[in-house]
Amino acid sequence: MRRSALLLALALPGLAAAKPIAFADGWTVMAEYGTNTMREAQVFYAPAYWWSGGLAATKLIADDKSFEREMAGVQANYLVKRWNLPAAQGNVFAWAGLASARGYDTGGTFSGVATARYGAQADYETRRIYLSAKTDWSQSSRFTHGVSTVQLGVAPFEHDYEDLAVWFVVQARRYTGGILPNETEVIPMLRLFKGNFWIEGGVDRERRLQLMVMMNF
Amino acid sequence: MKNTMKALAFAAALLAAGMAQAKTIKMEVHGLVCAFCAQGIEKKLKSMAPTQAVFVSLEHKVVAVSLKDGQDIDDATLVSQLKDAGYDVRAIARVDESLEQIRAEAKAKR
Repeated sequence: MRRSALLLALALPGLAAAKPIAFADGWTVMAEYGTNTMREAQVFYAPAYWWSGGLAATKLIADDKSFEREMAGVQANYLVKRWNLPAAQGNVFAWAGLASARGYDTGGTFSGVATARYGAQADYETRRIYLSAKTDWSQSSRFTHGVSTVQLGVAPFEHDYEDLAVWFVVQARRYTGGILPNETEVIPMLRLFKGNFWIEGGVDRERRLQLMVMMNF
Repeated sequence: MKNTMKALAFAAALLAAGMAQAKTIKMEVHGLVCAFCAQGIEKKLKSMAPTQAVFVSLEHKVVAVSLKDGQDIDDATLVSQLKDAGYDVRAIARVDESLEQIRAEAKAKR
């Protein structure tokens, strides 16, 4: 069963959504390739389990190619609340940061535009079910946009620490600010993680790749 | 001579009892659902000097720590360390089982 799941995982492209704080005194390195629309890389260090800070870079490309934005800056993440239940965990995270943006739009090219970044995430997870809702916003004198993502995941078997964890995930994502107008992007994904490595991926209806990898150490 | 033998036997028994003293601490922990939870706890506990090895079972909600010879970690410190890792200890006990036995039991129960 597990071998079949692994073979299936290797045969399919991946996808994901993860926590901005892994554990105390831990590093999180994350990279996401979001269809034709988003590219993101983040590196965070968590001095304690309830906060982390680091660097975040995001590129957004309008579906009609009318604009592109690249934002790079610093970000702090805060665990607002955690619920440790007998066989489940729930979390609420919030984050804020400051970035410098560059790119082009209908008004021409721009660079060095100060951009505020902020967002929040709530998740609930057992070893069989995963639910998360996340909203991530960027605001500057030149643009405002948001990326909101909901994920529902189901594990075909309950994994333990030393096992390969396999999840089937459906992700729904909506962009505002003209990035992907009037459309909710729905992507079925496969998520795998073992030890400190996590990979998630899938394809949308137009067979565009959604992929996320993450490492904690 | 007979008394000396008795004293030696008693001393040997005490030594054996001391060696057989629990070297494993077993905790029931809530909120364990993924490898990253386990990884954080393992890292935290392994950073403590008396820790020899750590075992985490998500399925059994168990975190077990084996101790180096002659060393100990008091319960309050362990509870505090787990809290600092973001988890709640619901029960804590010193057991005679080795870490390997706890690991084998956990696997057998799956």
